[in-house]
Amino acid sequence: MLAHLAAGLAIGLAGLGAGLGIGIIGSKSVEGMARQPEAAQNIRVTMIIAIAFVESIALYALLVSFMLIAK
Amino acid sequence: MGSGAEGLHVWLNLSLLGFDISITSAVLVVWSAAALVFLLAFLATRKPRIVPGLLQNIVEFIYEFIDSQTNELFGKESRRWQPFIFALFCFILICNLLGMVPAVYPITANINITVTLAVMVFLVYNFAGIRDYGLLRYLASLLPKDVPIYIMPLMLIVEILGHLARPFSLAIRLFANMSAGHLVAFTLLSFIFVFKNVWVTGFPLAARVIIGLFEVFVALIQAYVFAYLAALYIGLAIAEEE
Repeated sequence: MLAHLAAGLAIGLAGLGAGLGIGIIGSKSVEGMARQPEAAQNIRVTMIIAIAFVESIALYALLVSFMLIAK
Repeated sequence: MGSGAEGLHVWLNLSLLGFDISITSAVLVVWSAAALVFLLAFLATRKPRIVPGLLQNIVEFIYEFIDSQTNELFGKESRRWQPFIFALFCFILICNLLGMVPAVYPITANINITVTLAVMVFLVYNFAGIRDYGLLRYLASLLPKDVPIYIMPLMLIVEILGHLARPFSLAIRLFANMSAGHLVAFTLLSFIFVFKNVWVTGFPLAARVIIGLFEVFVALIQAYVFAYLAALYIGLAIAEEE
């Protein structure tokens, strides 16, 4: 019972943090692209990579929550 | 969940000196991925033409991409380390894409494979540093400069922990991304059996197709991130001291 609560909290809080992170990345890169449209291609590639890093942190929490449920 | 080792079919039971070296479906997929990478590179460059054909074009595009990304990291040693990064990228990409094929065991969603790749990167970048500097100077370069002597032991511990965290995070990142993709697909398809209603069936199927397309994108991104981080670690290890 408590393990299920812990699993929900783990993925929920990680989703909160990762969502905030991806939001900041997206907003800043749109700002950068609007200011310098000629650098848009580079910014987009860097943005996608940065998002992949943030996303993997949320996936760590997903793994932890599955372990909490499965044990 | 867990190690991702469920669903493994053992084709041949083998053991060597107490180690289990059975031929499982994962081993077969690893071998076929390696063979595919070799075939791709071999067929593309066997008869190189000035005006490249389709296959040569694809491989040249990937190589030029890796070249453009890692050139400034490696500096004048790029000729030595780029082939490793190129092979790593191609192998992980093909492993990820093979995992999308139905009935093929998704090997990058198995933690044993990703840990092996990450430990290999760890050994290679340490070897690169030792090769350039010699053992003592490489170990000395772990110590930060311009730090008071009484903080030194603490900084050394932090530095060693940072180095050990690198292969760990490499392995977990690839494993988590890939297994999460397969898990999402499985969950979507299981909705069909949860609702047991023929009118709902279309939505999980459509969502599965969209997620599948997204997973191809994730496979590319994760292969690139893994290869780029490996290049970054090697580049940091062989960086010229100021």
